[in-house]
Amino acid sequence: MSTIRATFSGHGPQRHRGTETNVGLLCVSVSLWPVAAAVAACCLVAATPAGAQTPDFSVRGFADVGSTTFAAAESFTAVLGSDRGAVFGGGVEAVLPQRVFISVRASRFRRTGQRIFLLGRERFDLGIPTTVTVTPVELTGGYRFDYGRRFVPYAGGGIGWHGYREASRFASGEENASERFLGYQAVAGTEIRLARWMAAAGEAQWSTVPDALGADPNSVSREFDESNLGGVTLRVKFIIGR
Amino acid sequence: MKGSRMGARSVTYVAAALWVAGAATQHAQLEPPLALLVSEVAPAAMDRGLRANDPPRAPRTDAVAEPFLRGSLIVRFRPGTSPEAQRALLAQVDGTAERPPSDADFDIIAIAADADPEAAAERLEAQPDVAYAQARYRVYPRLVPNDPLYSRQWNYPAIDMERAWDINPGATPAITVAVLDSGVAFRAGIMRYQTRPFRLAPNGALFPSLGTIDVPFAAAPDLVGPDRFVAPRDFIWDTTTPFDLDGHGTHVAGTIGQLTNNGVGTAGIAFNVRIMPVKVIAGTWDLIFRSPQQGTDDVVARGIRYAVDNGAKVINLSIGRLGPPAPVLQEAIGYAVSRGAFVAVAAGNDFETGNRVERLAEFAPQIDGMVAVGAIGRDRNRAFYSNTGAYLEIVAPGGSTRAGGTSGAILQQTFDFDLVETYLRGPAQYRAPRFDAFTYDFLQGTSMAAPHVAGFAALLMQQGITAPAAVEAAMKRYATDLGPPGRDDEFGHGLINPRASLRGLGLAR
Repeated sequence: MSTIRATFSGHGPQRHRGTETNVGLLCVSVSLWPVAAAVAACCLVAATPAGAQTPDFSVRGFADVGSTTFAAAESFTAVLGSDRGAVFGGGVEAVLPQRVFISVRASRFRRTGQRIFLLGRERFDLGIPTTVTVTPVELTGGYRFDYGRRFVPYAGGGIGWHGYREASRFASGEENASERFLGYQAVAGTEIRLARWMAAAGEAQWSTVPDALGADPNSVSREFDESNLGGVTLRVKFIIGR
Repeated sequence: MKGSRMGARSVTYVAAALWVAGAATQHAQLEPPLALLVSEVAPAAMDRGLRANDPPRAPRTDAVAEPFLRGSLIVRFRPGTSPEAQRALLAQVDGTAERPPSDADFDIIAIAADADPEAAAERLEAQPDVAYAQARYRVYPRLVPNDPLYSRQWNYPAIDMERAWDINPGATPAITVAVLDSGVAFRAGIMRYQTRPFRLAPNGALFPSLGTIDVPFAAAPDLVGPDRFVAPRDFIWDTTTPFDLDGHGTHVAGTIGQLTNNGVGTAGIAFNVRIMPVKVIAGTWDLIFRSPQQGTDDVVARGIRYAVDNGAKVINLSIGRLGPPAPVLQEAIGYAVSRGAFVAVAAGNDFETGNRVERLAEFAPQIDGMVAVGAIGRDRNRAFYSNTGAYLEIVAPGGSTRAGGTSGAILQQTFDFDLVETYLRGPAQYRAPRFDAFTYDFLQGTSMAAPHVAGFAALLMQQGITAPAAVEAAMKRYATDLGPPGRDDEFGHGLINPRASLRGLGLAR
């Protein structure tokens, strides 16, 4: 425990500079994903097994904001005008001994588009507003590569329950969708401590939610033969706790 | 009583057609026909109420008379054929080209009155410089006469129309629907006509000439509104005043666009659209008044081209004919679709009289953007008269008096037939007609089914499905399957489902 505190306090001045750089990097949209991945990889390579920041046990809360690019790109683009959108979330993370962590996270994607008709690849907008809401609740476990550097890379995987809700104007109850699907996810990220009780992290997540879309023959996802509700999310996390 | 009256009407349709057969040859011996608008104003329209207790009217089918006109042909020469070559070809059938008709890419060729037009057409069509040649087949309305009152319009709940109107309440005046029919009661006026003596059957009673008569017209009160009608055209009389002298076109136009939610009479499907009345078929009174044209293939083809060239986005053809194929109509409809118009065609009322191929509808499967429409009754079974076949693509309510009596047909406003069909009462009570008295009448036929689809197409276009082929695809995709699973020759892809089509596709549902 004492080692961890010393290392942490010893990096005070550098930590401040690091924060500015890190925020600038991680407020990225999807197109900067390769850059984020490269930075994470460099951090891993540069890490040395010095004194670790990770406590033997702590419980932390976090909030995050990010951007998800959905695997069902054509379907989301056809109805919502884009295959990506902002995701807001938050959760609780427990840091366990042996640099293991486990987290529970809930997030929400919500976007309004319009219903369409397709003839081949030709799209006709019908002007009927439809709102899609995706609310994953994910349980993730992983390992923190904490070797005493300023950056603490981490990686993990887990299981998620993805709520999908689609509601459009003029729909009767049964014509709206409200379902929950099982999915899986892998995450990788880098955390940097900003203050004693505060840290930030940049994180990339890949998730798969098979057989969630395309069941209804009168759906765009069936037309495009897209069934996976998963996708790739890049996010910035703000962590409260040690 | 019902049966006997129905029988009498059926005989009359046939007899009138026999008279029509002789009319063409007699025209030459008579003075030019008279059709003079003598007054722009006329007495107010008379509303003569609901005709729910009338005996049912039979669906119209083609008459048994000679189905084409003698003395002329329709010919289209291939591009580049010189005038000399055209004359040489026409000489083979002793033909001469008449003045080129408007709104046409074909010619009307005069041949001897006693020549066989089918044989002459066949001979010309064999020539390499001729794209097609055909006789001038008569085209007939696809209706059945039978009436306010939304509660009597079972046909709209049958296709979930009320919920469809929630999504799209009757389109807007941005969409023009052309009604190619017997005309439409679209305006008031007093017309002066010359009548002639005639017989309804070769050996039937002689109906005397009524001399020169002034005939009052009024706009159908439940159809007319500000800027409601656009580019009216009459190809039977070659005027811009396509008065309806029959009632069929007015009834059809009502199903497409009867004023709705106005506290009067009945409802129409696309009640905010503009209506383009294009008269392409002649009613019995047109013939009694010696109209210069009858409803033949060439006249209908010109009407189709006129409609699309003047901005129609939807064309309703509640008309049809039997006989040989009609290439001039296939090309005209292809032209209309290529210019962005959707075409709804009645599939025919001939099921119980041989189920012969309906020639205006038969090429619908080959043209994406044209739909051949069959009819169902209130019981959602195929209407007894509705043609079946590979060309049938979709069904809509056309009504059936065998499933609900008179009120099993389709109710709309049209003329008071008692004041129109005076020739049905024999020479003693035969008198001049009035086209200013209206009732709500029940009619049945694929003529009544097609305007459901035309009105539906107008809603889809307003909603955003602007390509005719996509309109057809949306109709078929969401049709309620009837009969054996999948497409079949009796119901096509099924019963139109406007609400589902208008909703289209969501991301997952």
